[in-house]
Amino acid sequence: MPAQSDLQPPASSPFSPLPFSKLDARAWVVWVLVTAVLTMMARNPLYTLLLLLAALAAQRPQSSGLKLPLLRLGSIIILFSAAFNLLWIHAGELVLFRLPAQWPLVGGAYTLEAAAYGIINGLLLFTLLALFQAFGGNVSSSDLVRLMPGALRDLGVVVLIAITYVPETHRQLQRIQQAQAIRGHRLRGWRDWRPVAIPLLISGMERALAVAEAMVARGYGATNDSAQRIPVQVGLLLSLTAVCGGWLLALWQQTLGWLLIGAGGAGIVALFVLLGHRNPRTRYQPRSWHWRDSLVVGTAVLALLIALLPAIRPSLSYSPFPTLALPPFHPLIGLALALLSIPGLFNNE
Amino acid sequence: MLQTTTQRTLSTLLYLVAGLTGLLAFAAPFLTPHLLNLVQQTGATSPTPYRPDAPLVTSLLLLLSLAVLLVEVQGQAVSAKIVAALGVLVAVTAVLRFIEVAIPGPGGLSPIFAPIILAGFVFGARFGFLMGTMTLLVSALITGGVGPWLPYQMFAAGWVGLTAGWLPKPRSPKVQITLLASFGFLWGLLFGAILNLYFWPFLNDGSLQSWQPGLSLAATLGRYASFYAATSLLWDIGRGLGNAVLILALGYPAIQVLVRFRDRFQFRRN
Repeated sequence: MPAQSDLQPPASSPFSPLPFSKLDARAWVVWVLVTAVLTMMARNPLYTLLLLLAALAAQRPQSSGLKLPLLRLGSIIILFSAAFNLLWIHAGELVLFRLPAQWPLVGGAYTLEAAAYGIINGLLLFTLLALFQAFGGNVSSSDLVRLMPGALRDLGVVVLIAITYVPETHRQLQRIQQAQAIRGHRLRGWRDWRPVAIPLLISGMERALAVAEAMVARGYGATNDSAQRIPVQVGLLLSLTAVCGGWLLALWQQTLGWLLIGAGGAGIVALFVLLGHRNPRTRYQPRSWHWRDSLVVGTAVLALLIALLPAIRPSLSYSPFPTLALPPFHPLIGLALALLSIPGLFNNE
Repeated sequence: MLQTTTQRTLSTLLYLVAGLTGLLAFAAPFLTPHLLNLVQQTGATSPTPYRPDAPLVTSLLLLLSLAVLLVEVQGQAVSAKIVAALGVLVAVTAVLRFIEVAIPGPGGLSPIFAPIILAGFVFGARFGFLMGTMTLLVSALITGGVGPWLPYQMFAAGWVGLTAGWLPKPRSPKVQITLLASFGFLWGLLFGAILNLYFWPFLNDGSLQSWQPGLSLAATLGRYASFYAATSLLWDIGRGLGNAVLILALGYPAIQVLVRFRDRFQFRRN
């Protein structure tokens, strides 16, 4: 869309941004989180297939030159996972063939269950990959930086500087390569990278000096709030200890352990919010929230709530062991997972 | 920035707890059989078995400890110079990473580790940690590689830079480069071994352990070693060799440049 007025590299660069998605970045985050959590929870291949369809539907139609060959990669993952489980796991009842049991590791029965288990897991990994590739294709990196919590303000500036300078550094690399090529330099061995890499590093550091001077001149880091850090440090320490202790305690006392984890996590989130409020940010031309965004967020949350209903939740889990059987399928969960394909509808307009 | 003793103690404690939590999250697949045995021995029975190495749980643990670590390191190490130097160095490294994506080298060869190691070595452990985490974050943002694996990659790459800052600083350039090259080779292997742990519980799931309730730590480690040797060793040797060769070829002039700029920046080594 030409209306986007951000600084953008020329189209010839491999880093040229994609056309923007119609959905808000925050809506994409909710969608990707819900779908990822459901993917990791549901070990049932029928549901995983539905989730995979949702992830594939949300892929960006045209993408930059960095796109992974998704389907090829997916089949490699699934094949690898099936072969791995067939080789290593010798449990199950439908035996395909046997190798002498005294052979280390590979000896024993080769079962259909193990292969099925491998395929299910491969499918799961592939779904996660497709899901996050859809997310990465739809949300621009500048939007992602804006999502960085305000508590990490300085690191956000680091990321912003880096992302701003990547296209420039890439052009600089090409300029240095051209200059060296004119001198008759050719890249053959490892050492031939020296006349390219070292000037790139030097020019980069010179630029860093200039950036630092400009930042100091504009008053960056002029306020020193180190005295306020002690309460934050204490809070972070207590919260993280609670999370870690809760993780162990949950083995013996599940409710108490999870309560501790929840309290610690909430403490960390609260401290992040608090720190974020200390560094308010403004944005030029904020993007307005659209009904499409509400629809995506609402359906994603609804899907998660339905899948978590205690009555139908058991059908999420499935194991091919000890005997391969058809996985259970609950139409309500199927419907809920189908709702996650909604972002895909807004992609092909 | 002057620090009081309280702040320093608190900060050390934070590093310890966050480091321990991260380590537990990474090592959960190995610890789980042990922990479950322990639970059985103490006679506690819960109606639904809880698996401490479930990917959702360990991801949460890792994400929280990473967030805490980043806030703490940022609060200590930050100034306009460091922010600018980090940003530009990360940009240079991310461009190198792009070359890697475009022209796949042999095995797990990746040019991003050598700059992280060199930066940690010259600018100190905290800078190295931030350089590692930020490099992985930025290159993931650029190549669209954001995913549940990202916190694991950030943590592991942060450790690469952190430990590089702890290395001794021998005077002779030859000893220095040999040390850094072997360090890079070792981390090439270690990085692969650590990152496999992210998806290993998927491949080698708990349902397996219900048939072998007494599986010990050593047995799990043995299983993992065989898995590693079969799937990742060659790939990771490629990465380790790539690191070593890159450091041997470019390390010394790069260190000279970084040291010169460190003096011009008037960095204090922290």
